[in-house]
Amino acid sequence: MRIKQIRKVEGSFWIGMGVLICLLAWKSKIGFFREPGPGFVAFISGIFVSMIGLVMGLSELLSKISLRSSTDLNQTFSIASWPRLIYTMVLLLSYALLLNTLGYILTTFLVMWGLFYDREKSRWVSSGLASLISVGVTYLVFQVWLRCQFPRGIFPWW
Amino acid sequence: MNLLHDLFYGFGIAFQPYNLLSCFFGVFIGTLVGVLPGIGPVGAMSLLLPITFGISPVSGIIMLAGIYYGAMYGGSTTSILVNIPGEAASVVTCLDGYQMALQGRAGPALGIAAFGSFIAGTFGIVGLMFLANPLADLALKFGPTEYFSLMCLGLSVLIYLTQGSILRGLVMAGVGLFLSLVGQDIITGKARFTFGLMGLVDGVGLVPLVMGLFGISEILLNLEKFGERIVLKTKIKDLLPNKEDWRRSAKPIVRGTLLGFFLGILPGGGAIISSFVSYALEKKFSKNPEQFGKGAIEGVAGPESANNSATSGAFIPLFSLGIPANVVMALLLGAMMIHGLRPGPLMLSEHPEIFWGTVASMYVGNIMLLALNLPLIGIWVKILKIPYRTLFPLILLFCLIGAYSVGTNVFDIFVMLSFGALGYLFRKLNYEPAPLVLAFVLGPMLEQNLRQALILSDGSLSVFLTRPLSVGSLLISLFLLLSAILPSLQKKRKAVISEE
Repeated sequence: MRIKQIRKVEGSFWIGMGVLICLLAWKSKIGFFREPGPGFVAFISGIFVSMIGLVMGLSELLSKISLRSSTDLNQTFSIASWPRLIYTMVLLLSYALLLNTLGYILTTFLVMWGLFYDREKSRWVSSGLASLISVGVTYLVFQVWLRCQFPRGIFPWW
Repeated sequence: MNLLHDLFYGFGIAFQPYNLLSCFFGVFIGTLVGVLPGIGPVGAMSLLLPITFGISPVSGIIMLAGIYYGAMYGGSTTSILVNIPGEAASVVTCLDGYQMALQGRAGPALGIAAFGSFIAGTFGIVGLMFLANPLADLALKFGPTEYFSLMCLGLSVLIYLTQGSILRGLVMAGVGLFLSLVGQDIITGKARFTFGLMGLVDGVGLVPLVMGLFGISEILLNLEKFGERIVLKTKIKDLLPNKEDWRRSAKPIVRGTLLGFFLGILPGGGAIISSFVSYALEKKFSKNPEQFGKGAIEGVAGPESANNSATSGAFIPLFSLGIPANVVMALLLGAMMIHGLRPGPLMLSEHPEIFWGTVASMYVGNIMLLALNLPLIGIWVKILKIPYRTLFPLILLFCLIGAYSVGTNVFDIFVMLSFGALGYLFRKLNYEPAPLVLAFVLGPMLEQNLRQALILSDGSLSVFLTRPLSVGSLLISLFLLLSAILPSLQKKRKAVISEE
């Protein structure tokens, strides 16, 4: 897919998004000018987004194809770096999923180990150590000093 | 005399040990994020926002303000030594600062950047002291109509100055406005747009949203280019500029200071635009414009003064009107609201400790920054050499803890990660997240004022066109937004942004 193609669908996308916002606002009751309801401003924002989408679509239709606009999508999204991005995002999502179950100390240690781990150099020990230090320091700062309430998870004595 | 009395009252607050520590922590972190490319003041402020919940509001605001103006100081270091701006307002410093470093004059470049920043920062605070009070008195006469129109103007100017397509800026503002309406309705108390999710009943959190859009997305972008930074191997000596340097820099510092301050006050303006305009102005005033880009000290002195002065100017609309002039101020507004404070014309009388404490702490912070940025420059250079692969897990951990600790809720982590992924996509497709955040923060106020104005006027839209300030603000907004459509005006806007 080329950027030019993305630009073509972006107008339609925002029109659709605006219509969706309007429908949601309508459901929440938009009221009248004299007595605006909870959906009133959202309805205006929906119309606004749709109108901008329409202008985008029209301006894209009328514009000429330039060299820059035909850049390959691969260049914009740098597919070569996707494994690293997906790896990081999966670790972060796991953190959110496991935090309440495993507790702060264990979840943070595991996720930080994964984040510090250098896949090119395979340094398990140093990344484990870095993870341990970061867990210790953040625990002291946030839990002990600032009294944030972190979940204890399956090890309630922590 | 009243002003002096208030200022001394402020110093009394700023010199309290805890506030002094908060100020130092703020300017230290600010310098650090300024030095480190990849995380700007917005990201750092959102990361540290949860820390402020455990301290008093005044200490929290002092710390957050310190991060903002501290980042302006620190940003110049990377621009001069690495040719990579630590944050956006220092982009223009690269042009001549790095050239000076290549010629073995990194010391004077860093020195004049720090001194210029100090002079401009101090002037900005004086201006803030003098202007905030009269403006707040004037703002007491404003009704919901004026507030609504002023907020529209703020958003329009920000969108107008946003890099890239103005249409995308507008869409972002529309989406930000909608997102701000998620949760309970301010008048009826009814939950709306929550999709049955309990976590959304109180609305989308500002902290997870900003952390996602600025923190997580920034890291995802940086993970694509995992290279090592090359720090210029030059001896940093003679940090004190010589007589000739001072002679050449004096006028640019004065011009940059004044320009930055007034551009900082304008809604949508701020440090970034003022540094670019200052550079263009100095080039125009210079007898040797051909030296610009080849190591002219004026090209460092002017913009560095302008961006520091603008940071103080940006506090004026926030403290006196309750309207943030840029995204950083929007975040500060959000922080104040989380602490139960309501910035606006009544704040100076209801919470003088916040205003005067912050103003006085800015004087103290500027002196701290001078000490941090000149004698300790070697430490910052060493920090620059820390590899990104060591830094990014720590930044991510702060994001995770920050998002969780706001409401001790895992749902906020999911919200942050969703906005992180969205922010990454937005930036890849040239959608600037700044208008979204500003609209998100202004949204509830905008809704409240619009609905109040309509109810008071019995549904008549003419109320917006009969009050001079309202009609003026709306006309300027309309003119700016029309520039998205009219080709002749589009050219003018491109010229303004290309000057940047």
